[in-house]
Amino acid sequence: MKDVMGLIYTSKNETSLRELTASRAVAALPVAGRYRMIDFMLSNMVNSGIRNVGVIMQKNYHSLMDHLGSGKEWDLHTRNDGLFILPPFLTRDNVGSYRGILDALHSNLTYLRRSSQEYVILTNSHTVLNTTFDDLIEFHEETRADITLVYAHKDPSEIDETVTLSPRHVYLTVGEDGVLTDMEIGPTEPKSHNFYMDIMVLRRDLLLRIIDQAFAEGITDINRELLQRNVHNGPMRICGYEYKGYNHRVETINSYYSLNMDLLKPECRRALFGTHPVYTKVHDEVPARYMEGAHAINSLVADGCVIEGTVENSILFRGVRVGKGAHIKNSILMQGDTIEGGVEIEHVILDKDVTVLSGSRLIAPKLYPIVVGKSKTV
Amino acid sequence: MRKKQCIAMLLAGGQGSRLGILTKVMAKPAVPFGGKYRIIDFPLSNCSHSGIDTVGVLTQYQPLELNSYIGSGQPWDLDLNSGGVFVLPPYQKGKSGEWYRGTANAIYQNISFIEQFNPEYVLILSGDHIYKMDYNKMVRFHSRSNADVTIAVFDVPLEEASRFGIMSTDEEGRITRFEEKPPHPTSTKASMGVYVFTWSVLRDYLISDEADPTSKNDFGKNIIPRMLNDGLKLMAYGFEGYWKDVGTIESLWEANMDLLKNPPAFDLYDDKWRIYARNPVQPPHFIADTAKVSDSMITEGCDVAGEVERSILFAGVHVEPGAVIRDSVIMPGAVIRSGAVVTRAIVGEDSVVSAGCTVGAEAREGESNLIALVGQHTELPENFVVKPGDQIDSDMLRLERSLNV
Repeated sequence: MKDVMGLIYTSKNETSLRELTASRAVAALPVAGRYRMIDFMLSNMVNSGIRNVGVIMQKNYHSLMDHLGSGKEWDLHTRNDGLFILPPFLTRDNVGSYRGILDALHSNLTYLRRSSQEYVILTNSHTVLNTTFDDLIEFHEETRADITLVYAHKDPSEIDETVTLSPRHVYLTVGEDGVLTDMEIGPTEPKSHNFYMDIMVLRRDLLLRIIDQAFAEGITDINRELLQRNVHNGPMRICGYEYKGYNHRVETINSYYSLNMDLLKPECRRALFGTHPVYTKVHDEVPARYMEGAHAINSLVADGCVIEGTVENSILFRGVRVGKGAHIKNSILMQGDTIEGGVEIEHVILDKDVTVLSGSRLIAPKLYPIVVGKSKTV
Repeated sequence: MRKKQCIAMLLAGGQGSRLGILTKVMAKPAVPFGGKYRIIDFPLSNCSHSGIDTVGVLTQYQPLELNSYIGSGQPWDLDLNSGGVFVLPPYQKGKSGEWYRGTANAIYQNISFIEQFNPEYVLILSGDHIYKMDYNKMVRFHSRSNADVTIAVFDVPLEEASRFGIMSTDEEGRITRFEEKPPHPTSTKASMGVYVFTWSVLRDYLISDEADPTSKNDFGKNIIPRMLNDGLKLMAYGFEGYWKDVGTIESLWEANMDLLKNPPAFDLYDDKWRIYARNPVQPPHFIADTAKVSDSMITEGCDVAGEVERSILFAGVHVEPGAVIRDSVIMPGAVIRSGAVVTRAIVGEDSVVSAGCTVGAEAREGESNLIALVGQHTELPENFVVKPGDQIDSDMLRLERSLNV
């Protein structure tokens, strides 16, 4: 797959993720005990043999830049191509804040023009999946599509449509030949259950033409003004490719919580970690240490943790300390959290470096987990 | 090449035959230690923290695993344009070309490598000890005392002293006597196998030692005694802290268990002196409903559903429900199946302890209490028994099977 490049569009901070995205982009959100959201998409690209990846950043990209560094963990610190970090920059035409992906792409035209690959895989950064894109490219070539959109079949119960989200969810209706016949944006009752995953593939020269034209016509909404219009009466052949594997979008606290909890199921762990390696920034942590009297079951535990208390159905990121007599249940504890002795915690999400003082009780209902922001003391 | 004040030469070519079948297919410095490390991580991390950024690693015996582990030196910040880590196997030179015959000969054969950096001092290290040491302090001590050689020494109990190279010193720390493994030791200062040499002095001695056909070309046996005889200034540099030779199965097991002491005898949590290692790229480990884990170290990629007590599990170890592991070291990728009991044992990389197997046994008073060892890539048949002190690997299993037929 040398002839494919990747572009990852990291969205602005999502308010529906509350404190978790106060100081970081969703792409930099810690997940699954030792990763950031973007690790999955970036690893998918690298595992597909893609050697040129651009990451478009918007606001709050400090932690994302710190995480990605030179790209060496993904073997993208190469002389040719490699990892390109694309933060917004002020020019005559650019005010420093993007009005959507087309606007962002227009600001990075030079990078796109200079790249040499035939195809571009353009994705968002809020979906977690572990795959390679070889089959997608093959499908795209076989169906002679101009643009191929990737979707997953979702049961309506899996998707929370009660939350107003931006961008809105998109559903695709796909004909037998793979060509899209309808595209619904933010429907209350979608006609189809084919949930668009914000992953598309197209030729680089076509993308360049689209960006030019969109800029000339003042088009900013890629879904409504470009794709949907084309599906209804446009010249481009837009196809839908079904992704059948495990995938999980994170856009609300509940979907963040359920992604992490999914990892306690063996089939989900296998789907996300059993096939291709997922690369991430390395911390030189000591293996996790279980002290005498520790009790842990059904949990995912990262290196650097020191456990003296009880841990149940939980995700412990790197370097979490659980004191004697503490009881952690159904919770997500991010890197560097300290839980002092005797603390009781249930349905809680603690951001990085939180300290919970001894004797505290934090117990929330399952549908509304407590979220404690970064570096707070409770 | 930029001039370096001090470069390190790490002797990693030895077979480590006292580690038995564990070093059948890999050199001793590549042997896994402490859940996610290999023995060589300790001297390499020490170099990195001491500001010694040029390290030659002399390899000879089974170097493949070690070579790929070292790679570009990136995990230890040794992937540099000026300096870095260099793997130095023996090579053909003109008409000659030979293996490394001894520790001194190995350095002799790399004189031109060292000369490239034009160093004032050369630090000689070995790859079989677990310790944290600031080599820079030792080099400063060497230069301040105008010594020709400085040898790091560690106080050992008198009854164990005959296992080491033992030094006697005067009040100022100057070495007056050096004996390799003396039967009746008179001092408890043991050589740690860490030397700082003034390069110009060492260079001359290496050349003249090479010309001596009776020499074994060994630092401890030849170079050091000759320097002492010639009245050179040899200083002892006292080291305090944790230092452990992991050259035998028992001491390797013990050093691993030292990490489980509370507080640990060897502190891996020191933020200023992290031990770096190549990362295995695995997810956090999973502890299942049926698991019972206490007083243990577990790292990434493990899946634990059985009972684990006072043990160290390396990356990607699987413990099935109903398996029991006590006081043991389970190396990367090993699988312990349901109903297997592993006690006071080391299980090698990617081995399978099948259902119903018994490996090792509880320690009993008055007995020798040896460690049981399962080699690498070895699948034990069901209900197989490995007694304490026994070593078993796939070659032996094959042999046993062919004898039974």
